[in-house]
Amino acid sequence: MNRWQRRQSKDYVAKVFAVGATFFGLFWLAWILWTTVSKGLPALKWGLFTQMTPPPGADGGLLNAFAGSIEMCGLAILIGTPIGIGAGTYLAEYARHTKLGAAIRFVNDILLSAPSIVIGLFIYELMVRPMGHFSAWAGAVALSFIVLPVVVRTTDEMLKLVPIPMRESALALGVPQWKVVRQVLYRAALSGIVTGVLLALARISGETAPVLFTALNNQYWASSLNEPTANVPVVIFQYALSPFEFWHALAWAGAFVVTMLVLVLGLTSRWLVARGKVSYD
Amino acid sequence: MTEFAPAFSPFSTGAHKISTRAPAKVTAQNLSFYYGANKTLKNVSLIIQEKRVTALIGPSGCGKSTLLRIFNRMYAIYPKQRAEGEVLLDGENVLDPRYSINRLRTKVGMVFQKPVPFPMSIYDNVAYALRHYETLSRSQMDHRVEEALKSAAIWDEVKDKLGRSALGLSGGQQQRLCVARAIALKPEVLLLDEPTSALDPISTAKIEQLIDELKVNYTVLIVTHNMQQAARVSEFTGFMFLGELIEFGVTGDIFTRPTNKKTEDYITGRFG
Amino acid sequence: MTIPGVAAPITAEQQLRREQRDQRNDKFFRYIVTGCALFVLISLLAAALSMLWGGREAFETFGWRFLWSSDWDAVQKKFGALVPIYGTLVTALIAMLIAVPVSFGISLFLTEIAPAWLRTPVSAAIELLAGIPSIIYGMWGLFVFVPFMGAHVSPWLDEHIGPLPIIGPLFQGPPIGLGMLTAGIVLGIMVIPFVSSVMREVFITVPVHLKESAYAVGNTTWEVVWDIVLPYTRSAVIGGIFLGLGRALGETMAVTFVLGNAHLLSPSLLQPGNSIAATIANEFTEADSPIYLSSLIALGFLLFVVTFVVLALARVMLNRLARRAGEDA
Repeated sequence: MNRWQRRQSKDYVAKVFAVGATFFGLFWLAWILWTTVSKGLPALKWGLFTQMTPPPGADGGLLNAFAGSIEMCGLAILIGTPIGIGAGTYLAEYARHTKLGAAIRFVNDILLSAPSIVIGLFIYELMVRPMGHFSAWAGAVALSFIVLPVVVRTTDEMLKLVPIPMRESALALGVPQWKVVRQVLYRAALSGIVTGVLLALARISGETAPVLFTALNNQYWASSLNEPTANVPVVIFQYALSPFEFWHALAWAGAFVVTMLVLVLGLTSRWLVARGKVSYD
Repeated sequence: MTEFAPAFSPFSTGAHKISTRAPAKVTAQNLSFYYGANKTLKNVSLIIQEKRVTALIGPSGCGKSTLLRIFNRMYAIYPKQRAEGEVLLDGENVLDPRYSINRLRTKVGMVFQKPVPFPMSIYDNVAYALRHYETLSRSQMDHRVEEALKSAAIWDEVKDKLGRSALGLSGGQQQRLCVARAIALKPEVLLLDEPTSALDPISTAKIEQLIDELKVNYTVLIVTHNMQQAARVSEFTGFMFLGELIEFGVTGDIFTRPTNKKTEDYITGRFG
Repeated sequence: MTIPGVAAPITAEQQLRREQRDQRNDKFFRYIVTGCALFVLISLLAAALSMLWGGREAFETFGWRFLWSSDWDAVQKKFGALVPIYGTLVTALIAMLIAVPVSFGISLFLTEIAPAWLRTPVSAAIELLAGIPSIIYGMWGLFVFVPFMGAHVSPWLDEHIGPLPIIGPLFQGPPIGLGMLTAGIVLGIMVIPFVSSVMREVFITVPVHLKESAYAVGNTTWEVVWDIVLPYTRSAVIGGIFLGLGRALGETMAVTFVLGNAHLLSPSLLQPGNSIAATIANEFTEADSPIYLSSLIALGFLLFVVTFVVLALARVMLNRLARRAGEDA
């Protein structure tokens, strides 16, 4: 084999490998999705949304778990989003090239990828220990710490995308900076920021670890946000590791619903990004 | 013969006549500009006459946009940028830190190179500054918006779609909308930073015509890299090079009898 | 007579008041957003401190021995982090051994080989792997993959590779499917999208003219990637790998389901073990003594420190390329 042929064959091998690797990745995706659908779909039933989580061995639904998850995720978004938008605004508008801005971005990136179990422990120490009990509040706060860095990053990036002339022309009209940010820049970056929130929501709806030590679980309704509260991921966790068939089925049903939710949120945010792509040329 | 050569300014020597003399609206004195440690404008002084069009020309990087942006203190939002010297608007030094920037900007409006309509309706774009500065009833606001859009020669094209998003307009229309937006507050001076360089020839012609109409009510300072445009629209022209104002005078004189060699080289196309 | 459109003239005093109000509002707004930003900064600090505080009893009681003791006895109240640390490191290593080459292959495919119409759907599909919640990975792992491993892969490995010298002991074990190898594989799959999306993004930042001039002199695709793209993006690629590693180290639910949760220190990958995150997740609610709880939180602190270092390094490496790309742009 001469030199040219050797190079060609190396190239060929690399290409085959690349294609193979892609199939490899997609194969696992397909297997996991297929499993979720094939085990989760049959387990879907009306009672899933109307019946409470059952005692060991019995059948039932996931009503209180869904309610708890919706409650905590909603609260987490309400807590994390404003702070996240505020921090992102600071980074993009007041600290774009400063050292403090760089430090905050750095820390935010670490928070973004930090293990969620660490967040759970943090809130355990911060809220559950002093309060003496688990609660939906603690769960919501833990989840909000996962929402926060996502929203910070998206807001920062989206605001930075707004062209400088737009910023300057608003300021050139003599309108104070805070109004320019609120009325012009946020509007221009809106679809991006909303996408960030959707992504954060997709992420927290499936998170187990942060909720495990903060909201724990509850077989019944929690009478207030100050009590341990049922939520879907922890219920799935508990039920899947149990020996009961009914519980396994419920776990799969829950898994299916969560996966579908994540998929829908992901597709929606992609669609929003494509739609909101204004060309500033 | 009317003299027109204040003692301090580097105006071109040689008699040049201006038939009517307008009062000085804006006077720049010994302006220097720093970007970090770089001195990008060196001791520039000039007079902008009221209700006349003054153009700044020069090769890329000569500092004409920098100079323009001093007049509404646009540099103030960038910590690394700093200006020294004085700019007198009707006698008051507007570079003084005690002079409110926002107040300055209501008197000195700016139109940028890229048309940047706000992501709102056409009506809201024009009304934007009005809403902040004046409490007007709905009908008063409508009237002001219409007035501004008419002055910007775009009223007829948008009067039926004021509620639609401004992003749906063509490039030339967007730029005229930006003009309307800038004059809604009835500023006294209008700064135009290469307003047609992003537009097609037809829109450019429309904007140039608009400038002709605007100068009845506004003092206009326009930066352009297009010499012919400067010759077409302005009464006075300043030629800048490497941060200095090389020559300033009546447009006709600058283009036909420039006194400085650099000016002549630029105008005849030897560089630029 | 009121002229339409002309409001009553503003007095100087009103103007002054408005200017003052604008300035106040600007300042107020700035304070709020600065506060939010500082909140982010102190959150991380607070998280670290709170776990250090929670784990202090364990650190005080066991001292440095905590790090290398393999005790784990709730009755005798003796705990050591060795087994969880070992499990965390080994599973993460296996995960990276799988994820790095696969991610590289995928990025190569998406940036140089795939036709344009295929790129978006395939990359979207790979991103989906990242979006699937880890508990779903855990469920799939436990109910589908573990039985598969136990029925087909483990026995085969035990039989064929187990007896070999040197690497043999790595693959000797019961065919239960649960274990380090299984957990490592699941983790690897989870990490693929993270590493590949970073790789893909940075491959795209290579200036086109660099690649084109290489192609123009007759280089093959592989040569362009190996000789030009990779060296150019080297820091960021390493950064992306570290990012994936950070994920793999901290992953909880997927590992909890398939690792077996056994406090067992064995060289074999087919044996069950434990990881820091899995230990905490499994035993937190059962911890019946303060020292037990404190040991678990101390484990959390260790995990935090390790992932912090890894993620910080990742960020530094990624920033290096971003700066360079900005200069070359």
